[in-house]
Amino acid sequence: MAVLSIDTSAAVAVAVVSETGERLAARSVDERRRHAESLAPLVTAVLADAGTDRTALTAVVAGTGPAPFTGLRAGLVTARTLALALGVPVLGVPSLDALAVQAVADLGLAPDDEVLVAADARRKEVYWARYRVVSHESTHGVPVVEAVAGPDVAKAADVAAGLAERPSAGRLAVVGEGASLYADVLDLDEDAPLLPDPAVLARVALQRRDAGQELPTEPLYLRRPDVHVPAGGPRVVPATGAVAG
Amino acid sequence: MGGMASGDPLVLGIETSCDETGVALVRGNELLVDATASSMDEHARYGGIIPEVASRAHLEAMIPTIGKALGQADVDLSEVDAIAVTAGPGLVGPLTIGTSAAKALAVGLNKPLYGVNHVIGHAAVDQLVDGEFPERVMALVVSGGHSSLLLVDDVATKVTELGSTLDDAAGEAFDKVGRLLGLPYPGGPHIDRLAREGDPEAIRFPRGLTAAKDQEKHAYDFSFSGLKTAVARWVESCRDSGREVPVGDVAASFAAAVVDVLTAKTIAACRRHEVETLVVGGGFSANSQLRELAAKRCAEAGIDLRIPPIRYCTDNGAMIAALGSAVVRAGVAPSSLDFGVDSQMPLTTVSL
Repeated sequence: MAVLSIDTSAAVAVAVVSETGERLAARSVDERRRHAESLAPLVTAVLADAGTDRTALTAVVAGTGPAPFTGLRAGLVTARTLALALGVPVLGVPSLDALAVQAVADLGLAPDDEVLVAADARRKEVYWARYRVVSHESTHGVPVVEAVAGPDVAKAADVAAGLAERPSAGRLAVVGEGASLYADVLDLDEDAPLLPDPAVLARVALQRRDAGQELPTEPLYLRRPDVHVPAGGPRVVPATGAVAG
Repeated sequence: MGGMASGDPLVLGIETSCDETGVALVRGNELLVDATASSMDEHARYGGIIPEVASRAHLEAMIPTIGKALGQADVDLSEVDAIAVTAGPGLVGPLTIGTSAAKALAVGLNKPLYGVNHVIGHAAVDQLVDGEFPERVMALVVSGGHSSLLLVDDVATKVTELGSTLDDAAGEAFDKVGRLLGLPYPGGPHIDRLAREGDPEAIRFPRGLTAAKDQEKHAYDFSFSGLKTAVARWVESCRDSGREVPVGDVAASFAAAVVDVLTAKTIAACRRHEVETLVVGGGFSANSQLRELAAKRCAEAGIDLRIPPIRYCTDNGAMIAALGSAVVRAGVAPSSLDFGVDSQMPLTTVSL
């Protein structure tokens, strides 16, 4: 009895976790442009590492981003379809949530401390969200956090400027790859987690599932599609003063 | 003939190379179900397929479309023997959704996976309608994205590309001329409708790559870009002189030029390679002038013409399941789970 967890919001990361939250196996490939090639082989490898037969899985967990679109979708459609094939539920958790939870344990945060999570959004922007620590430990060994701002996408400097208006005066930890990329404006904590851990993602999913929460797997795109609308089309022959019909 | 060969493996096919999410089940040459979701309505207002819009739609449509296919055929996923999926050519983002889903099915069901060629699928789908191909067939695949002439010795293992378009695909030229004439996107069906009221011999538009000098290097290649420009010049000059554009005549004459070249080169290739069966596939084979002229010229040349009904010619899961079925039955090795999508997949590669 175990759950498979997939996060493709940054690297390709897969874990198998027991129903009680124990990490049985995990692998990741730091591959940012070939998620669809790496993911399926990684799933079979991690299941083999864990000694878990695919038919023993009770759920599939997926990180829902926000993240660059193509890689994110590869993870989500894989998780959804695998769950369909196995006849088990698919549980979605925002990838930034996993990083916030990791930060609580890694940095020893206390209730009411806050965590700013920033991920690489390319185009010189970050995906970000800010969380408040609710409790240090809950079921499945998972700290509980709640989002107080975001998720959204913005320039790192604008995210940093927004922190000045933060009402709480408590400790603020800054974590995530997006913060390390823009360390000139975002004050990354020492020893901060940089990428979502799929095992933590799975624990968060199990905790929320057991608490009766809905766990949709809708992607957090946060950006509209780039659409180039063709204008009427150029003339082949330049008009020569004659009035076109 | 396609049949009730119940001993054949049950193949689930997934197609996502452009804007259609297609899922179908085929056993042998028998189509059990063909389910399709399309995002065309979302693209029409942009006048072309927007890859990111299509990709988002594929993600949303994938599970419902698989479920619809299974439900309509009353088949459980556990009954599926093999998965086939479009690996290319096509749009990278959309292809990635289909291949990821197919890989997940292969892993989840522990069944073999076959990444297959979309363009060859447009030919293979005819086996669901007209039965197993004879030993050699010529395939003309014409759509919004492709215009290719293929010599098919074995649809599962041996396909030779004789020629392709050097610029616009036939369907693409129709869309562009449609825009020029102020018709809604996609323009193909509108031009076909208008052409019925026009005279195909009213305007003599150029036939690309048919000159004697092109016969050596480009005997079986196509070019529609020059034709499109010629139509644009003609229409602009007409408008500039204050005359009303005879839209029916333009549509009919333009379409006549396209289908004249397509059929003439294809018949010539059949003769040269001594092939007695021609298969026409792809979305543009819905064009009525193409169907009529191909039928006439094939009859004159003593060539057996196979054009499946229009619903098989558009992008769909049936074409991929049909090709997958042929590949599985031929005993071809499955694809590795780590294959990547190939937007420019060579037309000589049937499966990866």
